[in-house]
Amino acid sequence: MQSRLRVLRAERGWSQQDLAQRLEVSRQSVNAIETGKYDPSLPLAFRIAELFERSIEDIFLSPSRHSSKAI
Amino acid sequence: MFVAKQSDHTPAQRAHVRRVLWLMLAYAVILPPLIWLRAHRHVSDPLLLAMAIVASLPVLGIFASWGRYLSDERDEYHQATTLRRIAIATNATMGAAVVWGFLQAFGVMPLVEAYWVPFVWVVIQGAFGCVALFARRDPEE
Repeated sequence: MQSRLRVLRAERGWSQQDLAQRLEVSRQSVNAIETGKYDPSLPLAFRIAELFERSIEDIFLSPSRHSSKAI
Repeated sequence: MFVAKQSDHTPAQRAHVRRVLWLMLAYAVILPPLIWLRAHRHVSDPLLLAMAIVASLPVLGIFASWGRYLSDERDEYHQATTLRRIAIATNATMGAAVVWGFLQAFGVMPLVEAYWVPFVWVVIQGAFGCVALFARRDPEE
């Protein structure tokens, strides 16, 4: 699943390690989410959204909507 | 050369590695005298049974450690990737065991002791772990 996590993180000048510490996950988790290799659980997605004070939809792109636009 | 940093491991992973290293050390210490006893001394059947159980305990401990790790791991990404690795290793090992079993039954392949099955499982799992370690290298940090 694609996300805007890398952009939002960069806007705040945080490293992946900084974000990982704030979310209480490993740096590899942040990297995997940013690169779309891993889809976070709903509780983690909420933690990410709350940290950036955005809605989940603002951060994560819906795979169904994204693919339908591509068609 | 890529070297995994200590900080790349979660507390649950570090605890699991520590447990496995101690268990492997125990295995290396326990096994040679048992093999020597079996080869050079007449041992009664009940004692043979006890020796076989003692020899298998460290390996059973390693499997128990995997279960403990999955229970202790708080990082959902690591938990998910470990579960995936275990599923792949289990499927590959069980598949290989079934194929080898039939080859053996039809006399095509020689008898292989059953304790090689968990060894194959650990090797396959370790191989996928190494692949995952190198695959997740991130040039950004």
